[in-house]
Amino acid sequence: MELQAVLMAAGGGSRMTDLTYNTPKPMLPVGNKPLMWYPLNLLERVGFEEVIVITTREVHKMMSTDPKTKLDIKMKLDVVCIQEDGDMGTADALRHIHQKVKTDILVVSCDLITDVALHEVVDLFRAHNATVAMLMSKAHEFTETVNVPQRDFVGVDQSGKRLLFMANEADLEDGLIVRRSIIRKHPRMHIKTGLVDAHLYCLKKAVVDFLAENKSISSIRGELVPFLVRKQFSKMTSGQKRMDDTETVDQKNDGLTNDDLFFPSRDEALLQLAQERSCWNDHRGDMSEAYHGGKLRCYVHIMDQGLCYRVNTLSAYIEANRMAPKFIEEPAVHPSAVISERFQMGSDSMIGAGCHVADKTSIKRSTIGISTTVKEKVKVTNSIIMHGVTIEEGCNIQGSVICSNAVIGRGADLKYCLVGNGQRIEPEGDTYSNTKKSILLEVSVTFGLV
Amino acid sequence: MAAKVAKQSRSAGVPGRKGAPEQEGEELPLQAVLVADSFNRRFFPVTKDQPRALLPLGNVAMIDYTLEFLTSTGVQETFVFCCWMASKIKDHLLKSKWCRPTSPNTVHIITSDLYRSLGDVLRDVDAKSLLRSDFVLVYGDVVSNIDVSQALQEHRHRRKMEKNISVMTMIFKESSPGHRSRCEEDDIIVATDSRSQQILHYQKTQGLKKLQFPMNIFHSGSNEFEIRHDLLDCHISICSPQVAELFTDNFDYQTRNDFVRGILVNEEILGNQIHMHVTKDGYGARVSNLLMYDAVSSDLVRRWVYPLTPEANFTDQEGRGCTYSRHNVYRGPGVTLGHGSQMEENVLIGSGTSIGANCCISNSVIGNNCTIGDKVILDHAYIWNDVHISSNVTISQTVVCDRAEVKEGVTLNKQCVLAFNVVIGPNVSLPGGTVISMHHPEEEEEDDDEFLSDDAEVGQTKDKKGKQKMFNPAEVGAEGKGYVWKASSLDDTEDEELTQCLWGLVLNPDPESDSEDSEPEGPDDPVIPSPEMDDVKVVQMEVLGTLQRGLEENISCDNLVLEINSLKYAYNVTLKEVMQILTRVVLEYPFQQQGSLITASQYVALLVPLLKIWSPVFKNYVKRAQDQLDCLSAFEEHFLEQENHWAAMVKVKALTMVFFFLLHQVLKEMYDLEILEEEMILRWFSLEPSTNQSRKLRKNQGLQKLIQWFEEAEESSEEDEE
Repeated sequence: MELQAVLMAAGGGSRMTDLTYNTPKPMLPVGNKPLMWYPLNLLERVGFEEVIVITTREVHKMMSTDPKTKLDIKMKLDVVCIQEDGDMGTADALRHIHQKVKTDILVVSCDLITDVALHEVVDLFRAHNATVAMLMSKAHEFTETVNVPQRDFVGVDQSGKRLLFMANEADLEDGLIVRRSIIRKHPRMHIKTGLVDAHLYCLKKAVVDFLAENKSISSIRGELVPFLVRKQFSKMTSGQKRMDDTETVDQKNDGLTNDDLFFPSRDEALLQLAQERSCWNDHRGDMSEAYHGGKLRCYVHIMDQGLCYRVNTLSAYIEANRMAPKFIEEPAVHPSAVISERFQMGSDSMIGAGCHVADKTSIKRSTIGISTTVKEKVKVTNSIIMHGVTIEEGCNIQGSVICSNAVIGRGADLKYCLVGNGQRIEPEGDTYSNTKKSILLEVSVTFGLV
Repeated sequence: MAAKVAKQSRSAGVPGRKGAPEQEGEELPLQAVLVADSFNRRFFPVTKDQPRALLPLGNVAMIDYTLEFLTSTGVQETFVFCCWMASKIKDHLLKSKWCRPTSPNTVHIITSDLYRSLGDVLRDVDAKSLLRSDFVLVYGDVVSNIDVSQALQEHRHRRKMEKNISVMTMIFKESSPGHRSRCEEDDIIVATDSRSQQILHYQKTQGLKKLQFPMNIFHSGSNEFEIRHDLLDCHISICSPQVAELFTDNFDYQTRNDFVRGILVNEEILGNQIHMHVTKDGYGARVSNLLMYDAVSSDLVRRWVYPLTPEANFTDQEGRGCTYSRHNVYRGPGVTLGHGSQMEENVLIGSGTSIGANCCISNSVIGNNCTIGDKVILDHAYIWNDVHISSNVTISQTVVCDRAEVKEGVTLNKQCVLAFNVVIGPNVSLPGGTVISMHHPEEEEEDDDEFLSDDAEVGQTKDKKGKQKMFNPAEVGAEGKGYVWKASSLDDTEDEELTQCLWGLVLNPDPESDSEDSEPEGPDDPVIPSPEMDDVKVVQMEVLGTLQRGLEENISCDNLVLEINSLKYAYNVTLKEVMQILTRVVLEYPFQQQGSLITASQYVALLVPLLKIWSPVFKNYVKRAQDQLDCLSAFEEHFLEQENHWAAMVKVKALTMVFFFLLHQVLKEMYDLEILEEEMILRWFSLEPSTNQSRKLRKNQGLQKLIQWFEEAEESSEEDEE
């Protein structure tokens, strides 16, 4: 087993609280599948047989009991529950499962929907014996509007693979500062903004060991990765340090203190020898050895094309639902749905199991969840209807999200609305526009973009 | 077609067409401005006798390379601007092939004594309306074979797309850091927009450890930028006619650097942009110091500047052709080589030179009509014309100028310079970096004004020879002639650049690697405190700094309070936290100063005067009863933390001392300026002890005694009041 897969599915979805008020984020339906199905499917497609799932009790319970959120996954899931309100970061979670980590790991977030060729990332990790390899993607337009003011600056080398610099605009008040020694080693640095971090990481086992020692790091993205990126160029990783470390490989566990961040791999000595004997080099120009003798290396694969969504905002959620049919090979209309003959449906819509769709309805660019009832003369366009919703006659629903178990009264006209879990829209034929009939009202809506 | 071109150029020839419409630009003949002056004294004292543009490089004057480059890149009209020794340059050019009627490149020579910088030249260009369209701006000491036509096309395209936005295209050559032809002092860092190749930031990196890029350059709307340090500035730029106007408008622009900086800084206001063009395979370098001279000469001999090679005789002078044989050995006509002499590799020998027996020559250039004796070893030696070198001489990495004479048994170590007409020897060894010249260094100040006058100066120096200061035989040998030149005698008013030595900075393989290791790496600390910890920590550090400064500079306590208050607001900490921090800082202060291994009595001895000094600060924060309690608990907390340092007994002793002191203060200040009232101490004591340790502390005998004493004192004071 080369890599162990870890799925982080304990996030609360704090940026889309409207949706996650009743349904935990990993269980949000996207294309009638729970959100966490997508990363699991990604892992299954590339041949993982076992995944460690870090999640909350609530999600675990839903996974095992609720038929609506059944995961159609053949892999063996090793579910580890953590406290819901424990405020655990991703790195804390890794520390929590430290005992289970036997080898290098692949960490995936539950809100990642992508069609990336995963081997690209893993190959970088393998080829360069990297400490961390991660995935990023060009940002999609709908995400840019959500967090414009603070861009992430990512610096990569000429090949576009080696990660040299990482900072958020908020931390760069005095301008972007790069040490000259880094620039000397990597004289051509591309600074990119407008990238989305997919929160997919290949990490060396030693990093997990390091985390176990260093309790102060609590988030992978926020603290660990920037720390490793910086560490690549600090004096620890080069020069004479390496010498004494090769001697102490046997007792590396003692040697791994807080300050001494050295990650020896299993075949360190052999790799070292291979590198010395090889004429291969990772850079040109100066005559120094490959990687300039650095031991700690961070790499990033930046997707140029293809889909990569992080479903952490409402707009991303809507966008992901629109893209979901591409990931699902099942028929658009579930065989167990009861569908009237006389209704119109676009090819880009989905209808879940056990639905009742009555006459003279029209469903376009929408997802209808499991056990939902749609009565006569209903028009649904550009919307997401979750599970167990009842839509009475003559409704017109456009660009809206209707959460589970809501009831939409007769003749309601909803445009760009969010209807919360179990809410009831009175059948008075009112026109709602750009509003939310939900428990939470203060969060701004981004429906206008859809 | 030909007729059309001719007509175009005729119509363009009408004077005063500075603002000629852009569309015509493409068909106008390409013009160039060649600045045949460096406007600095880098090459002094060599350039005292010959302007830099005429110094031989591979036995050809540098300006010839520049003109050849311009001609081959398609320039049809070149304006050569001369200042220092203008008549020499003019003579040279008039004799050269550039001024023959068949020359495809018309050379106009413009001389003036008044040019003191590139800015002056371009202002003059503007005043004379010499330029009609985009032009190539280049210095007289640039050696290059870059084909700029592609860059020119891009430049014109950009100017067509967005009218008059892009004013300049700078030409860079790709070469990694540490490359030989990269001059350490000219090292630059460029930030560009990846897509448009627009330069956003341009900076010399010399002496910088950290490179800082202002954030506003990243606001251009693009989302991909490049930071490039693998570029060598060829000092070739394609300019639009606006450049000359901009120099006129901004009379403070002196150099191209000023201009580039000005354009980049004012980009948002003026809307002018600078772009760049990077060539991968061309060669282009400016001979800005002798180190570069060395590098460019060897590149030339090693044929990196092809088709400009030594044997090509592109200047078309008679009797200058030479033969090229393997190992890059070039021999001019009439070269004689003695028995047993070896020309190992990369050697160029000019016409009429004779070399004695058993010499060993490598990586060197020898000029015309030189005589070299027997058993001479030359490595990286640049011998110009009419030089006499006697037997048993060793020369390494040294420039020997025209008509110099090196007598027997002389050793010239690395980076020496023998200027014109110098005689050295016999049997001396010059230490590395020695510069010998016929000009006495003290002349320097006297003929400061002459810097700009041309060759009249030569006559004057001859007069000075009449006064003849004695040569120092220890420096130049018994029969030697010449003075040791000291570059440091230059004015302070000159540019920083000029005070640097002739050879430029010595290229260390990695000059900063050593110093960098010792550099503290603040942001790399492995411990990343959680965010809310941060603020308190930061405030604590700041408070410590403030108090320290207060002590050192004797700042009044009122001002300290002001500063601490401003910290409170800046970091949004509560008053309670401020007080805790303050207490902690003060109590830890002796440790900060003396290390953590001081005994309790020492500690108290240090602490008490501090408390005395800072008591007004405390008073300011410890006002209400609750504050006093907080203060006390902070004290307690601190002493509990110190567990590992001292035994409990000692701790209590220290605590007692502090209480005594505070109490003392209280009594002395007659209750109205008090910091802590004993009432509060008692109340603190009676509070439910929170931890085991604090319970222990309270049970301590010493402390109990103290408390008892307090209680009694209070009773008595109450009685007194009654």
